[in-house]
Amino acid sequence: MDFPKNFKYTKDHEWIDVQGNSGTVGVTAYAVEQLGDIVHIDLPEAGKTYKAGDSFGTIESTKTVSDLYMPVAGKVTAVNSALKSAPESLQADSYKNGWLVKIEMASAADAAKLLDAAAYEAFIKE
Amino acid sequence: MTDTKTENRKTPLYDAHVALKAKMIPFGGWVMPVSYEGVLAEHKTVREACGIFDVSHMGEVRCKGPDAVKFLQWLTINDINKLKIGGGQYSAILNNQAGMIDDLIIYRLAEDEFFICINASNRDKDFSWIKEKSKEFNVTVTNESDDWAQIAIQGPKSTDVLAAVLSASDANAMRALPYTNIMTATISGKPSLLARTGYTGEMGYEIYIPKAVAHNTWMALLEHSPKFGVKPIGLGARDTLRLEACYLLYGNDMNDHVTPLEAGISWATKIDKGDFIGRDLLAKQKSAGVKRQIQAFKMMDDGIPRHGMKVFVGDSEAGEVTSGSVLPTVGGSGGMALVSTSLKEGDEFFVDIRGAKKRAKIVKRPLYAARTK
Repeated sequence: MDFPKNFKYTKDHEWIDVQGNSGTVGVTAYAVEQLGDIVHIDLPEAGKTYKAGDSFGTIESTKTVSDLYMPVAGKVTAVNSALKSAPESLQADSYKNGWLVKIEMASAADAAKLLDAAAYEAFIKE
Repeated sequence: MTDTKTENRKTPLYDAHVALKAKMIPFGGWVMPVSYEGVLAEHKTVREACGIFDVSHMGEVRCKGPDAVKFLQWLTINDINKLKIGGGQYSAILNNQAGMIDDLIIYRLAEDEFFICINASNRDKDFSWIKEKSKEFNVTVTNESDDWAQIAIQGPKSTDVLAAVLSASDANAMRALPYTNIMTATISGKPSLLARTGYTGEMGYEIYIPKAVAHNTWMALLEHSPKFGVKPIGLGARDTLRLEACYLLYGNDMNDHVTPLEAGISWATKIDKGDFIGRDLLAKQKSAGVKRQIQAFKMMDDGIPRHGMKVFVGDSEAGEVTSGSVLPTVGGSGGMALVSTSLKEGDEFFVDIRGAKKRAKIVKRPLYAARTK
């Protein structure tokens, strides 16, 4: 299982790729494996503002529905609308084409509190 | 909720599932495979080729004796006198309030001998009820649940797959076996039972084999994978398959507080056959008219309905979803709901999906037309 080294991670299995003040958010390969077949993804409209840890949508598999949590505070600037009609595409690739939302971070420093790839991998092995 | 202190039981096929890298989950006191390669792929395998399911957690009760017919006529809702030797019958047992203790299948093995297949999660509850009620009759009831392993073989190729592990004469008899009927067969060298039935809406069989030969039989069935495309199927696809066919699931679509008339199995409820447990209340309910019943529905908006979600007509609550999912073969999502009888086929309503009211529509049952014949 792959966990890009330049991303930051949460214990709720989201990743964020920070570029300056903006970040791209998605779910990890581990989350995708645990969920099984993904059949529905609910994402917010661009423009919505969230605090760190807020639920910004849901991801649903044949078995269960899980909340998606914001890794850091910020405002949604773009939403991956391709996932609406093809949620299953997330399974093949949850890091590139499977991104969920892009945000403008309230503070770029917030991401420093998140797990790095090694810490996240250690966490899921617990 | 599962008591974490209680060890979940393992079927004789547990090691086989682990070797096949199944995702294992606790289910009704058992640890069972929920999926192998993925629910959607497994669903497709059963609709198009053949899947095998470990259903060893199901229970089996034998009922034998001079009063067996009289007893089962009193205990169950369907008409035992209509059941011929070798036949199978869908039925249910009710509590004194006419609520469903369980739904079950009764097979008639001989004039005065019956074999009853009951739900895994209800094994103990059912058997103690049956045992208690049998006291006034000249019958012996035996809980054989721990003796049998059960494998379901389902899909258009199921006859060919099962024939490959049978003797030529048993295979011929199986090919002639009518839907719902049962026969004896030798499987992995042991006397077994083979019924033409299932829970998927496809052509298929369920075999009852001694526990000791479960693993060998499972492996023998899978050996024909290259030729017939047979694959192991988990509980996840079992649920989506049965839901499309609108087969009820105990604990989801019915429980101790739902009558068979409300559950939509009035076709199996023979109020006029003579007295049986729950009959008087059912007769009253029938003449007064049921207030709520199970209906099939499809979502019109996006979103996936799930068990327990509330149903609304306008602002008024009108029932709840009892089973909901994506519908892999039918398309879209939908399920079954226990709703007010004012809702008829074609009527629209809302499902409250985590606070958002999404449009849905009552459709004709079943969602997927069974191909069992």
